[in-house]
Amino acid sequence: MAEADVVLIDDDASLASVLAVGFESRGYDLRIAATGGEGLREIERREPDVVILDLGLPDIDGIDVCRHLRQRTTSPIIVLSADGAEDRKVRALDEGADDYLTKPFSMPELLARVRVAVRHRRALAAVAHDEVLSVGDLAVDTAAHEVALAGRPVELTPKEYALLMLLVRNVGKVLTHRAILDQVWGPDQPLDTLRTHVSHLRRKLGGGAGAPQLVTAPGVGYRLLAPGDVVS
Amino acid sequence: MAMVDVVVLVAGDGVNRAIPAMLLLLVVLLAGLLGGRLVALGVALVAAIGFAVLLPPIGSPRVEPAEDVAALVLFVAVAAIAGVLLSTIVLSDRRRLSAEQGTVEALLRVDHDRAALLRSVSHDLRTPLATIRAAATDLQGFDHDPAARTHLLDLVIDESERLDRIVGNLLSLSRIEAGALLPERQPVDLAELVAACAARLERATSKLTVEVRAAEGLPLVKVDYSQIDQVVANLLENAARHAPPGSVVVVDVERVGESVRLRVTDQGPGFDPSVRGRLFEPFASATGSGSSGIGLAICKAVVDAHGGTIAADDAPDGGARITVEVPIDG
Repeated sequence: MAEADVVLIDDDASLASVLAVGFESRGYDLRIAATGGEGLREIERREPDVVILDLGLPDIDGIDVCRHLRQRTTSPIIVLSADGAEDRKVRALDEGADDYLTKPFSMPELLARVRVAVRHRRALAAVAHDEVLSVGDLAVDTAAHEVALAGRPVELTPKEYALLMLLVRNVGKVLTHRAILDQVWGPDQPLDTLRTHVSHLRRKLGGGAGAPQLVTAPGVGYRLLAPGDVVS
Repeated sequence: MAMVDVVVLVAGDGVNRAIPAMLLLLVVLLAGLLGGRLVALGVALVAAIGFAVLLPPIGSPRVEPAEDVAALVLFVAVAAIAGVLLSTIVLSDRRRLSAEQGTVEALLRVDHDRAALLRSVSHDLRTPLATIRAAATDLQGFDHDPAARTHLLDLVIDESERLDRIVGNLLSLSRIEAGALLPERQPVDLAELVAACAARLERATSKLTVEVRAAEGLPLVKVDYSQIDQVVANLLENAARHAPPGSVVVVDVERVGESVRLRVTDQGPGFDPSVRGRLFEPFASATGSGSSGIGLAICKAVVDAHGGTIAADDAPDGGARITVEVPIDG
């Protein structure tokens, strides 16, 4: 069985060709679509483990493709953008993308992101109905509202708990500042509120080997990564 | 000063007249501020009549003693001068502001154009860089079999050549903007130039069949070799970007009167009607991907500098067709 089934939606034939060699050499199935429309059809045909989506497509705007994809599939979406424009990435993430990478990127970097996405998708599918969610050594008892790290209880304020829950439920996915603020605090909260809580939460989780990492996506948001999944 | 005069003069007949006088002066000033000079003058006259006639007790004329006449004349003079002065100041201020606003708008436009240029240029440069970086890092980090290695290395070479062509176009664009695109003319065999260019771009156009059809006995044309080469390369690359894989691109080279005509016809979808009128403007075809669209703008600048013409239309059976004509004798 293939490592994972990946759909690449990118109109740059050269890059697609490089990725085809790279992924297939490592045992992945890579299906290539050169337009947004083709990509959506490819996903309808068979739900992939991961979608890699370039935001600059000839037929449909990448952000719209992202939204359509999200309506049809729960597959993680890794967005590629050639422009450094933060707002495009943020919009893609708000439309349901899980992660992003700016072109030009290195092959190991992309492969690492794909591995993280695949693993978290499988992990999430397995624990969807569990009452105790775990990421590395972190365990969250959602019924008792109790958090433990390597068996030792961690005291959290209600907002810290809500923030952690959101991150744990979306482990591996980049959550934008706006998305986190809206879901934990409600609209119109300043970014500083989030920053303060993130720094408290980081302190309480510590940087131990088995602890999940609360990683900053510069200018975009945050995400929780399992220990060992931390990529540059 | 003026207001003090009025106050002093009207005070002769009781302070109660000072307040209406000041109020009327205020009205005149406002008229000057909002309406301009003529309005201020008119309002000053009306205010004087009001001052003389309409003040209580209504209807009983105030203009009796000599002081009152003097007061009235002075009031009109002061009100008129103040109103006109104010409106003049406001007017010149407005003129200055609108001139400044014009400059600011022009600067903003330049800024906007530059931002668009930088955005599309960085997009253009990053596209081949993405392939190069992904391929190179993959070659370094993974033990590929020889066929895969060769394939990846070929892609690196192709994309670095593409990058070189983009940089060449950018340099030309900067020369065009500086007005320094002067052709260094020499006698050139255009059919040979086209064939050499097509051969050089063989890999970039590998998904297409490029067919060069040169007429017999073409004269040598006095052109700048590298500039016309860039035109042909841009046209071929354009075709490679838009025409479907496996299709044929035909380059016709023939003599038409005192010019030589180069015609590139592809079997793609033809020109998008929405950009058709602006095809030769920089960034006209800048869509989500592909190219910033400076290629055709450069073609036009080069052809113009050679005293030739360039035109785009749809071929009889659908595809896009670009026709370039350059005079034989330069």
